[in-house]
Amino acid sequence: MIELLATRYAYALMFVLLGIGLYMVIASENLVKKLIGVNLFQTAIFLFFVAVAYVEVDGEPGGSPVVPATTEPAAGDLILASPLPHVIVLTAIVVGIALTAVGLALIVRIHAEYGTLREDTLREVRADE
Amino acid sequence: MSDVDLLPALLVVGPILLATVPVLLGLRYDRTGWSVALGTTLGVFAGACYLALEVYSADGVNREIAVIHELGGFSQPMGIELVADTFSTLIVLLVAGTALGVLAYTRVGGPRGNTFYSGYLLLVGGLLGLSMTGDVFNMFVFLEIVGLGTYALISSGDGPESAFAALKYLIIGTVGASIYLIGVGFLFMATGHLNMHALGGEIPGLEGQNLQLARAGFAFIFVGFAIKVAQWPLHSWQPDAYQHAPDGVTPLIAALVSTVSAYALGRLMFTVFGGDFIAATPYAAAVVVTVGAVSVIAGSTLAVIQTDVKRMLAYSSVSQFGLIVAAYGLLTETALLGAVIHLIGHGLMKAGLFLAVGVIALGYGARTVDAYAGLAQHRPYVAGSMAVLLIALVGIPPSIGFIGKWYIAVGAIEAQSWLVAGVIFLSTMLTLAYVARLLERMYFTPRSALESPRGTAGTEPGPAAAGGALTDGGRAMGATAGRRVTIGMLAVVALTAVIAVVLGFSGDVFTELLAPFIESAELEVSP
Amino acid sequence: MSEHVVTDPRPLAAVLVSAIAVVFIVASYRYPNVREGWSVLAALAKFGIVASMLPGVMDGTIYVWSLEEATGLQFVAGVDFALRADPLGMLFALLASFLWIFTSFYAAGYMRGLDEHAQTRFFAAFAASLSTAVGIAFASNLLTIFVFYELLSLVTYPLVAHNEDSEARIAGRKYLTYTFFGGGVFLLAGTVLVYWLTSQAGEATLAFEAGGIGLLTDAAASDPAIAQAAFYLLIAGFGVKAAVMPLHSWLADAMVAPTPVSGLLHAVAVVKSGAFGVARVYLDTFGLEFPTAFPLSVPFVGDVPLNIPVAILAAFTLTAASIIALRKDHLKRRLAYSTTAQLSYIVVGLSMLHPIAVLGALLHIPAHAFGKLTLFFCAGAVHVETHTDYVSEMAGIGKRMPLTMGAFAVGAASMAGIPLLGGFVSKFYLLIGAASGAEVATFGLEVIWLWIFAGALIVSGVLNIAYLWPVVYTAFFESEDRHDAKPLLEFRAGGQPESYGVLEGEPNGVVATDGGRDANGEDDGREDESVIDEASDGTTDHGEDDDAPLPDHDDPERDAYAVDAHPSDADVPFGPGSSDSSDGADSEHVHDHDTHEATGSHDEHNDDRSSHDDKHDHHDHHDDHHHHGGAPMGGWERKSPVTFAESTWLMLMPITVIAIGAITLGIVPDYAVFLELADTIVEAVTGEGVR
Repeated sequence: MIELLATRYAYALMFVLLGIGLYMVIASENLVKKLIGVNLFQTAIFLFFVAVAYVEVDGEPGGSPVVPATTEPAAGDLILASPLPHVIVLTAIVVGIALTAVGLALIVRIHAEYGTLREDTLREVRADE
Repeated sequence: MSDVDLLPALLVVGPILLATVPVLLGLRYDRTGWSVALGTTLGVFAGACYLALEVYSADGVNREIAVIHELGGFSQPMGIELVADTFSTLIVLLVAGTALGVLAYTRVGGPRGNTFYSGYLLLVGGLLGLSMTGDVFNMFVFLEIVGLGTYALISSGDGPESAFAALKYLIIGTVGASIYLIGVGFLFMATGHLNMHALGGEIPGLEGQNLQLARAGFAFIFVGFAIKVAQWPLHSWQPDAYQHAPDGVTPLIAALVSTVSAYALGRLMFTVFGGDFIAATPYAAAVVVTVGAVSVIAGSTLAVIQTDVKRMLAYSSVSQFGLIVAAYGLLTETALLGAVIHLIGHGLMKAGLFLAVGVIALGYGARTVDAYAGLAQHRPYVAGSMAVLLIALVGIPPSIGFIGKWYIAVGAIEAQSWLVAGVIFLSTMLTLAYVARLLERMYFTPRSALESPRGTAGTEPGPAAAGGALTDGGRAMGATAGRRVTIGMLAVVALTAVIAVVLGFSGDVFTELLAPFIESAELEVSP
Repeated sequence: MSEHVVTDPRPLAAVLVSAIAVVFIVASYRYPNVREGWSVLAALAKFGIVASMLPGVMDGTIYVWSLEEATGLQFVAGVDFALRADPLGMLFALLASFLWIFTSFYAAGYMRGLDEHAQTRFFAAFAASLSTAVGIAFASNLLTIFVFYELLSLVTYPLVAHNEDSEARIAGRKYLTYTFFGGGVFLLAGTVLVYWLTSQAGEATLAFEAGGIGLLTDAAASDPAIAQAAFYLLIAGFGVKAAVMPLHSWLADAMVAPTPVSGLLHAVAVVKSGAFGVARVYLDTFGLEFPTAFPLSVPFVGDVPLNIPVAILAAFTLTAASIIALRKDHLKRRLAYSTTAQLSYIVVGLSMLHPIAVLGALLHIPAHAFGKLTLFFCAGAVHVETHTDYVSEMAGIGKRMPLTMGAFAVGAASMAGIPLLGGFVSKFYLLIGAASGAEVATFGLEVIWLWIFAGALIVSGVLNIAYLWPVVYTAFFESEDRHDAKPLLEFRAGGQPESYGVLEGEPNGVVATDGGRDANGEDDGREDESVIDEASDGTTDHGEDDDAPLPDHDDPERDAYAVDAHPSDADVPFGPGSSDSSDGADSEHVHDHDTHEATGSHDEHNDDRSSHDDKHDHHDHHDDHHHHGGAPMGGWERKSPVTFAESTWLMLMPITVIAIGAITLGIVPDYAVFLELADTIVEAVTGEGVR
């Protein structure tokens, strides 16, 4: 078990981050903190993808997937980490930024209308309407 | 690439690019948004029709007759494809038609402003992309684009409730899409592919750890989409979002966003994973079917107790999508056919219903079930169209709602899943429970019999004196700043009702059109 | 007999005629005469089209219209949307379209007489419901009949909820719940099961075939449990509309609808479509051999053929409903329970499976229709002309409406099965069928059951007389100021406890059957005199007394008498003779309502399902504080039957014609088309005719 955690620590960390993010979404009262929780959730997923991409062969870690300008291959094959998940993560980060921006804009508007960002207060105020 | 192959890309990219135009033009001219949106959606609709002609007139296997566009010229499995096959083309038609129809309402009744129409076009582009994408990660991107567009449109209503509803949807929806992304990650780990067609080829051959990864991926993907399709118990964002969105936005999102999400789920379940994989995964089919069946019951039960009509229809959506998800889980050909037919039919009917609700709110000022009393007398055409659509929703033949339900029921019996069959048959009664309530109010409850409800925007206060009944309507109309119902709105609602009935005779047509896709799903006729 | 199938648009035309008429009716909403004219025209056209197909159908031709042939579209994969005019369909369609002609006149008279609201919606919905009824008649497969069945429920709902008050809405909700449960749930489930079963044995089909769907019987051999489930689901689905207990209680509540609706729809079209559907299930879906070929194996009893439980329920219904009808004071409710009972004649006849019984059942469809429609029309005419709804208020009404009540007598005789009237012929065949079936029965218990069914039919016939004769009697042979109390209606179920010798609160417990003495002793004579004096006046002021005359044993005055307080019965509670004016009647009703609150004034639909003893029904009209029924001051006006002065010709003409129809069916059944049609049907199904 410890062995598993030691070698696959990235995945374990990912789930820990997922849990923290989800907990923040559910349990925090401030709306901004909820949004931060969502961000944390997404960041965990980015970590997951990057970890997926990592390649290790015979104890040799894969290099960063930057293909050198030369077309002459060095001795043996190039062992590279897969670039595709990195691309995925980049895209997902951008998506996350957009979502955070929209979310914050909505939060600004809610604050302007209600004057508070606490969820329990908001619930009371909205129930009165 | 031939001309037709460009069409999917144009359909997706066009609205997205043209979404910038209203904002740009807005720098100089005012109120150009609607015209730009109209032009774009007309073009999209024409394109969708042409695409449909191409796809449905061809013979052959699903993959062969599909119109496929390879983005950037990179072919699969590395490149991203846009695939318009027999399944997605129907959805594209639905999206294009609904986007066009809702514009008839938003011109007078909906939110105004150039930025609104920018968001509108962005949403349409995202929906078309989500319908046609052939790559699982690309699906995530479009899912988020659709989400963004939806959050923005929902929050464009007056008042803070729409912002709150949008934020709630944002948080829950993003978590859902992220969970889907985890599933994609697992799939990628297991197979190394992201292209749906390639995945479909790889997954049947997986074994050992990769198989476990794929199964975990399925679980995450299903949960993610259960959030997006608003299945019980992950549906709580939907009633708020539908209720507090502006009246012009709700038809669009109710008819399209959940529908295309359900389409995406179906696409993943049957083109990527395949019926055999799901059947072989322990409890997978059972969970899917159970979530669907419980949503049917929970959604209709919650719908019956609602007072606000839009909220009631939102819970109704939960129930109807439950039928579709349960049908997916049955894993038979007839059930899948029924699910697709119901998907289209329900999208159409909900669009019409929410448009009718918007028209009634605009012209009559009623938003709650009690306020609908006597509607048939004062607004016969809208009430009539709404009645037809509600009856079609219950599944009374001849209507598209019945056709979908028939096939799903036959599929359930073929799968010998008696409990699900029982739920499907009971769903008629459950739907009738809330539909009959509304119909009774509209037609058989005179207006002075019930007090007008409190707190509804634009309604007259208190039980009116007999003579005041008509003038109160006028006051309500005046309260909404002189907007009035146009012939175009009424025509669209009536047209939707007519189509819902006419399509009730088209069971055969759907079977033929969807046959290539159903065959490609390679389901057993009965397990 | 060979079937000769011909493609013909006439079945479709028959269905669509009134659907198109709906548009015209709605369009001419401003011109009532034109609007009613459209109804009549559509009815005549529909009858004409249906009748034109009759000769061909009797010869063996079957007219078919199919959507697939016409347009190439299949309704659902494997199932066609098709209409076909075969003998069984012709029976129902002919009946419905013929009766509609006269109902449209009657409805016009009725609605105008009451100056009802929303008449356009009424007539439009009426036309649409006839369209769907003919669609049910001509449906050529289970799915098409399902489509029209659901549409019928939908289109008749506005008619049930027509009054738009809360009672009508409640009745409408109940109606929708029952009919859509029956149709949408049971019927759809049964249809899907049949579709699946036939797909197991060959090409999936739902089309009706005389003698049963062949593939279904083949498939049932391998999967009998599902076939049995399908059988019961279909019977239950149609049985809801056919008002078989325990699914019958919507019918009594639907009587809030205007009388033309109660008459044509709830006595002829809607409930008959249920019975017709049961006939289709027995004759054309499963066949008459199926129930005995795949019996249920019940523990401790052995093999039970499938039809026996259905027949038991139907026999129970016809007895129980007749008993319930005995205690109904509201005339339309009485007729509703009568309908419930009579429809079960049809179901029981079909369930006996013997060709003669089936013939009787099929013939009962038109026989009952003519008789019952007469009865309902009479009830409606009485309501329009005198606003009288309750039998206890109808004393002497024969003076005011002689022709109407005469027709009522004819209809009642037909219901009871008196010879020379239509009801007798069908009941005759039913009884012979039960006896013949008992001769050839194979399962041991079946013989006993068949004799029990025959017995139930006879008992129900007697009960028919018991609940319909008092109406005729009170109309013609009693007068409004001197009529008997009707114990069945006005007193507690089971009778007064005093009759059994028990006096509550009376320590001596002495029961006096001779009028007795007051417990106090001294006041006897004066009490008696004052009572008798007032009684002999013919008018009383008991309405003003605090102790109004009530069969209430808490009343001290009351204890002195054995059975009721007023030996001359002149001042019956709730009756017109007991007070000077209807206002007094109202105040009595209020008083009665208060005193009977303790015993509860429930709406009867709460009690319906549980017992055949409805204790609280005679309180139901206490809840209705609006009725002004009963004779006016000075008694009924006399009207002569010859001059047709009692009501409008719009109502009298249909009543007369339909009553004559009931007589015709009884006197010359061979020439009235229906017997021959029924025989043709039985021949097609069993291969041998009965006559």
